[in-house]
Amino acid sequence: MSVNAGFATASTDFLIAALLIYSLAVLAFAGDYAFGRPHRKETAKPAVPAVAQLATVGAGAAGAGSAAALAESGPVESGPADAGPAEPAPPASSGGGTGLAPARRVGAFRAIWAAGPWIRAAVGLSGLGILAHFVAIVCRGIAVDRAPWGDMYEFVTALTCVAAIFFGYIVVRYRAWALGVFVMGAVVVALGLAETLIYTAAGPLVPALQSYWLSIHVTAMTLSTGIFFVAAVLGILYLVSERYRKRVAAGKIQSGNGLIDRIPSAAQLDKLTYRTVVFGFPIWTFGVIAGAIWADQAWGRYWGWDPVETWAFITWVIYAAYLHARATAGWRGARAHYIQLLAFATLMVNIFVIQIFITGMHSYAGVN
Amino acid sequence: MTDVRTPQSPADTAPGGPAGESPAASAGWLRWAWRQLTSMRTALVLLFLLALGAIPGSLLPQQGTDPGSVDQYYVSHPDLAPWINRLGLFNVFAAPWFAAIYLLLFASLVGCVVPRTFRLVGSARTPPPRAPRNLARLPHSSSYSSALPPAAAVDNAAAVLGGQRFRLRRPAADEPGYWVSAEKGYLRECGNLLFHLSLLGVLLSIAAGGLFGYKADKLLVEGQTFANTVSALNEFHPGRLVSGDSLAPFTLTLNKFTASYVESGESAGQPSNFNANVTYAASSGATPRSYNIRINDPLAVDSLKVYLIGHGYAPEFKVTEANGTVAYEEATPFIPANTSSLLSDGVVKAPDASLGFEGVFVPTAIEVEGTLESIFPAANNPAVSLIGYSGNLGMNSGVSDQTVYQLDTNGLTEISGSPHLLSPGQSWKLPGDKGSIEFVGVKQWVSLAITYDPGQVPALVCGILALAGLLLSFFVRRRRVFVRAVPAASGTGSVVTVGGLTRSDASGGFEEEFADLAAQIAETEPDPGQPQEPIKPEPDHTPEPGSHSEPGA
Amino acid sequence: MFTVRTPLVFRARRRTVVTVTAVVAVLLAGALAVTLLTQGGSSTSDETVNGNTVVYAAGHQPLAPDFTATSLTGTPIKMSSYRGKVLVLNFWGSWCPPCRSEGPTLAVLSQQYGSKGVDFLGDDVSDTPENALAFTRSVGITYPSINDPGYVVVQDFSQATPVSETPTTVVIDAAGHVVGMVLGQTSYGEMTTLLRDAGVNK
Repeated sequence: MSVNAGFATASTDFLIAALLIYSLAVLAFAGDYAFGRPHRKETAKPAVPAVAQLATVGAGAAGAGSAAALAESGPVESGPADAGPAEPAPPASSGGGTGLAPARRVGAFRAIWAAGPWIRAAVGLSGLGILAHFVAIVCRGIAVDRAPWGDMYEFVTALTCVAAIFFGYIVVRYRAWALGVFVMGAVVVALGLAETLIYTAAGPLVPALQSYWLSIHVTAMTLSTGIFFVAAVLGILYLVSERYRKRVAAGKIQSGNGLIDRIPSAAQLDKLTYRTVVFGFPIWTFGVIAGAIWADQAWGRYWGWDPVETWAFITWVIYAAYLHARATAGWRGARAHYIQLLAFATLMVNIFVIQIFITGMHSYAGVN
Repeated sequence: MTDVRTPQSPADTAPGGPAGESPAASAGWLRWAWRQLTSMRTALVLLFLLALGAIPGSLLPQQGTDPGSVDQYYVSHPDLAPWINRLGLFNVFAAPWFAAIYLLLFASLVGCVVPRTFRLVGSARTPPPRAPRNLARLPHSSSYSSALPPAAAVDNAAAVLGGQRFRLRRPAADEPGYWVSAEKGYLRECGNLLFHLSLLGVLLSIAAGGLFGYKADKLLVEGQTFANTVSALNEFHPGRLVSGDSLAPFTLTLNKFTASYVESGESAGQPSNFNANVTYAASSGATPRSYNIRINDPLAVDSLKVYLIGHGYAPEFKVTEANGTVAYEEATPFIPANTSSLLSDGVVKAPDASLGFEGVFVPTAIEVEGTLESIFPAANNPAVSLIGYSGNLGMNSGVSDQTVYQLDTNGLTEISGSPHLLSPGQSWKLPGDKGSIEFVGVKQWVSLAITYDPGQVPALVCGILALAGLLLSFFVRRRRVFVRAVPAASGTGSVVTVGGLTRSDASGGFEEEFADLAAQIAETEPDPGQPQEPIKPEPDHTPEPGSHSEPGA
Repeated sequence: MFTVRTPLVFRARRRTVVTVTAVVAVLLAGALAVTLLTQGGSSTSDETVNGNTVVYAAGHQPLAPDFTATSLTGTPIKMSSYRGKVLVLNFWGSWCPPCRSEGPTLAVLSQQYGSKGVDFLGDDVSDTPENALAFTRSVGITYPSINDPGYVVVQDFSQATPVSETPTTVVIDAAGHVVGMVLGQTSYGEMTTLLRDAGVNK
């Protein structure tokens, strides 16, 4: 099969465009911090532990209250049309308009509009960038007449798109545009590095990769890596936020209207990170299973401890450890996030170290 | 998943058990050890150890997959290698210490899962708890005024909840008040247990495959037939419980092997397709069928699978003695030295003519400054360069450390005129009246992997079940909804309060579900003709010290 | 610990017993599996192994299967035609050093025992007729060999008794039963012993 040069060039062009648009979006997110509407100061409350226990009979329902750590609040009080400037995002009482309750009554796009010109621009640019990014990937796919994640460059391009789209979902569902600088910034960095360091020209696949399993296994890995990417960024933010909270509580610094007060609280970030990992973990598991089925078709065994397989296993085990840690006394909070970041680190090692430098059967990176 | 185990009390952390107990200290130690083994903390530690232990298995050469690299490691790291070997790091995944880690992990898993199964069965049998007195203190609550008397209002709510497949509990005859408790979401714990048990199933399937399965390799030249029997196989790795006669008796003939390569452009020379056309019969009486084995497309025969693993060239040679008798005629497999150009090495041994040859085969030959090179992997311009030897090849003494691809040239005399280049059809008349060697033509060979793994399908089934269990445990919420009705102050109708809470914080969405339920309960009330007040959620989040936090905080 | 034995304790105890049993079972099964998986080798009971010679006890001698094949020179060979005489069946290849080493021994044995009514037959595997005939010529083997490049005859024969290496020499009595075999390179002494077991007098 031959490569369609026109589409290949178009793909690269759209990708550069996406990079530029994303960069502008990051600037807009940053601009909101610097010049955006002043947010109400968030009083530094101790984060309530997220342990929920079912209510026992009668008056001993004190434990029930602790379950409300993250905005699992009751139905919203305001009417459907009441999304004027005074109420940027429900619940609007505190938290600087960055609460994470998925409000049913106020539409997401109204809320974004109400958040001010900088956020409008940032979200709009992000959406445009995602579109360009997506078109770039599609063009690449047309150019090579197959699913466009057959080598490392294509893989990183695709996973950053997944991360951006997933971030878009979080913005809409949880009103979390305050995280824009960080997540989209990371996407820009990753995509830029891919473009400059590991760019590979569009080409046909080696016979071992010519299988419909490419669409299944690598797609799943791309999706879950993109989602774990977002979780990692949130995890870093959590650690920063948690450290800040501790220092405020210890009286070392005053809480104010700074950058750090604009982002959701540590407890909210913790919850969001958890939900993100919960979203990505089954997809990763599915990807590993699909990879095993494909390995059996291609190599004659479904698991052979090939270095990439081994590291995928390691990543899985450490994400499992993160999930266990969240349910273990003494391991919640910062420790669990260290585990989660460690898991993402093993993922990065798998992609960028093992696939390039260690010979095994997975050496399809295409990078020399 | 929340930890249902109570935090470890001081009595649990030290052996000996609670005070006042009479059993011997050993029972106390056992109990302590038991609690340690099945604690979450231990599970965490073991998970980390498992991950850590797998790392050397990916960075160091492993005996199971690449014994050649292990030998090379001994050569390049002569001091370090024996120590690595003693620690079992050249075969990590079969090492006892690695097995100890995952065995302990699974023991811990079973030790947690079994009690939780009992608990789940128990909780599935016990009814939901009674509705709390003050539903307004729950994380989700709303209330409305109803025109119905309390009993009817609660009945209506119960009908709605029952319709949503909640398990219900109504007050006993002697209990005061009008309320109903509803609970749903047992599938969450079911999913959790299913996931963990399925992992155990995967482990057992892998073990079964290892015990009863086997892997074998066979190199086959075009035109050759092969019958599946132990002595025919180039390599045979049986599981412990596999005996030689349990091999399925199929036969297979390689008719033709075709490899296509990218002709031009940036990726010229890259393989684009491999196809091994074979005819096979599942047993000696069966009708022969044909199949094209390709990469990603193995042949399935009688619960075995035959895979295309590698390929190469087998140039055909004919060695004739001076008196005209043929001493050797065979297509001789050569091994690729360079996987992209397929320049290959091989030997021809004609012991009965006391002749041996080392050869280099190039599929598309060009000469670069006197050196023979191959510029393209297809056999577009084949050539072979031979170095001839005469003498006793040492094959009659019974023991040989040469493989069929090696020639021990000690004690042999090099034939003058070496190296000699031949194209297909050409002969080299050997000086000294030793005969001649003809390069007849080129065939290709394939290497096939034959595998039998009875644990394969069970492992897949368990994997899928694990995934299903995982999804259930993540996305099903265990939740409770309570409804209480009290007579209205005005005398007619009642005030109905609906409260709800969810046990897990895994996924959101309960807010919406609760709001929908509350709305549905209110709206399905039969209209007695009087106007009802619309749903008015109570301001229920009066912050009580230490019990709630504000929404959005 | 409770001093009053309530039914609750019984249930709890039963659960503990079940759980502990399950865990111990997992550990034992795992240890067993790991030891089994990392070892190799097997043996069967109704044969004796002495050096490389395997002798089948009377009553446990497998019946040699019948097959038709082609010799190196193209003539048909039918296994059943050897019934009524003792047969020495040697699996070999010209590429195989131990086979080459035992060739002269078999040549001598075939001369000596041919007059005593013992037939010799070779099964030449993974070879070409040219290579094989070059060898038989050089060591003076005159008895025929089956041309079996794909091990098809070996597979057939393995249904009766496993032929797992090359060379293997099998002795079959006049009734068609496998008396015994030598795994690997054979010697004059091993062959005469087996032939005696098959009822051939020197």
